[in-house]
Amino acid sequence: MAALDLRAELDSLVLQLLGDLEELEGKRTVLNARVEEGWLSLAKARYAMGAKSVGPLQYASHMEPQVCLHASEAQEGLQKFKVVRAGVHAPEEVGTREAGLRRRKGPTKTPEPESSEAPQDPLNWFGILVPHSLRQAQASFRDGVLEAKKRKCFLEQVIQCVVSPAAEQEAEDESCLEDWAAAVPAETSAKAI
Amino acid sequence: MLEGAELYFNVDHGYLEGLVRGCKASLLTQQDYINLVQCETLEDLKIHLQTTDYGNFLANHTNPLTVSKIDTEMRKRLCGEFEYFRNHSLEPLSTFLTYMTCSYMIDNVILLMNGALQKKSVKEILGKCHPLGRFTEMEAVNIAETPSDLFNAILIETPLAPFFQDCMSENALDELNIELLRNKLYKSYLEAFYKFCKNHGDVTAEVMCPILEFEADRRAFIITLNSFGTELSKEDRETLYPTFGKLYPEGLRLLAQAEDFDQMKNVADHYGVYKPLLEAVGGSGGKTLEDVFYEREVQMNVLAFNRQFHYGVFYAYVKLKEQEIRNIVWIAECISQRHRTKINSYIPIL
Repeated sequence: MAALDLRAELDSLVLQLLGDLEELEGKRTVLNARVEEGWLSLAKARYAMGAKSVGPLQYASHMEPQVCLHASEAQEGLQKFKVVRAGVHAPEEVGTREAGLRRRKGPTKTPEPESSEAPQDPLNWFGILVPHSLRQAQASFRDGVLEAKKRKCFLEQVIQCVVSPAAEQEAEDESCLEDWAAAVPAETSAKAI
Repeated sequence: MLEGAELYFNVDHGYLEGLVRGCKASLLTQQDYINLVQCETLEDLKIHLQTTDYGNFLANHTNPLTVSKIDTEMRKRLCGEFEYFRNHSLEPLSTFLTYMTCSYMIDNVILLMNGALQKKSVKEILGKCHPLGRFTEMEAVNIAETPSDLFNAILIETPLAPFFQDCMSENALDELNIELLRNKLYKSYLEAFYKFCKNHGDVTAEVMCPILEFEADRRAFIITLNSFGTELSKEDRETLYPTFGKLYPEGLRLLAQAEDFDQMKNVADHYGVYKPLLEAVGGSGGKTLEDVFYEREVQMNVLAFNRQFHYGVFYAYVKLKEQEIRNIVWIAECISQRHRTKINSYIPIL
């Protein structure tokens, strides 16, 4: 009986894994769509502004990101991802739905006042009067970053969800199977006799 | 009064007019565009372009072929044709052709200054400058710190010198000021070009003045639209509008006060030409304002060829060729990004 329960639980875990993978695939499609939209909007901006006005000439070789993704190890080996907007002090915590407190970086973070200045909007590399398609491109890529982050969290969640209980289940299952394997020859030999 | 263009034009400019009409006949047709749109890769595109008048212009390029290389080669070809016209021209056509190059010179100056801000090397930027806007003092542009510096030290010998009157200031050149400088230079240039065409009179004025008026109005609309949500103030915006065109002066005053696209549309409703254009923006095809204005520009430039004995054919040919380059680059981008939904958004010319 215990073996049957275990198997049922394994089955439900596998179904859950497949369901989660499907959701992950959906998120990947959304991410790809956003990035493609972004590139197409850039091509439209080149059409409007001239082919050489939107290209590697317009940005410096060293740049400051506007949005950073910080990964940290929480309890049970789960990873937490924080989106930190440069120039803003409170990091947004998105990811595992555990009851985590929103951490606010309070005044204790003042040792680096220069880095708290918000980096320049990359849109300004292309001039002040940029066409609408360039703004759309920026919005698409920004959404893409958030989608990528959500997807990564989800992936971690899926793997952790399945791997640790499954490892336990597998160990239990193996012992059950061994018992069953031991029991079968006993039965058959009993029948034979 | 008999103006006389029909009698005297061909003496000095007949050969070049004949040549430019021949060049115009070699622009891509709708059938060519249909063939290009069906290409799967950029190599296919190159093979199809070989069957047109472009010939083997990409033959020297080894793999991988990029959209940027295609664009550079097409521009070089256009520049070659234009230089031929310029070298064989006599006054006043040579001045007219020099006026045409000023807009590219302004773009190159701004590209060089932006590059200096981003600490790029001059050589890298010089390679990307528009070939039609080349001038000898280009390499020195990046050392200027203020617009007055730029004028006094570098541009005073170039054809851009007369356009600097409104732009002289001691402000350091950051992004906002570079953008203001670009638009003010362009405004002065357009006004000077318009005056030149008007003073020339004759068929040239009849053909070129409406085209340049449309250009001025287009700039006013685009500057207004792009300035929503930026740090450009309304007063600054008004100083960037060229002071001629259908919108001058009442329309420009109203545009300067506009705060969103709908208010801009209300201003355009007063003008029979611009009302349908702005109504076509958005809609099912997802057309942008730039798209509708490019379409109207193509219409006006094609009509310029219906008159003879004027310089407008040269201007119209260069603009139509540029639109063709934009079309091919757009198709190439859609092919290389494998995103074919909007591939038919080019503007057919012939």
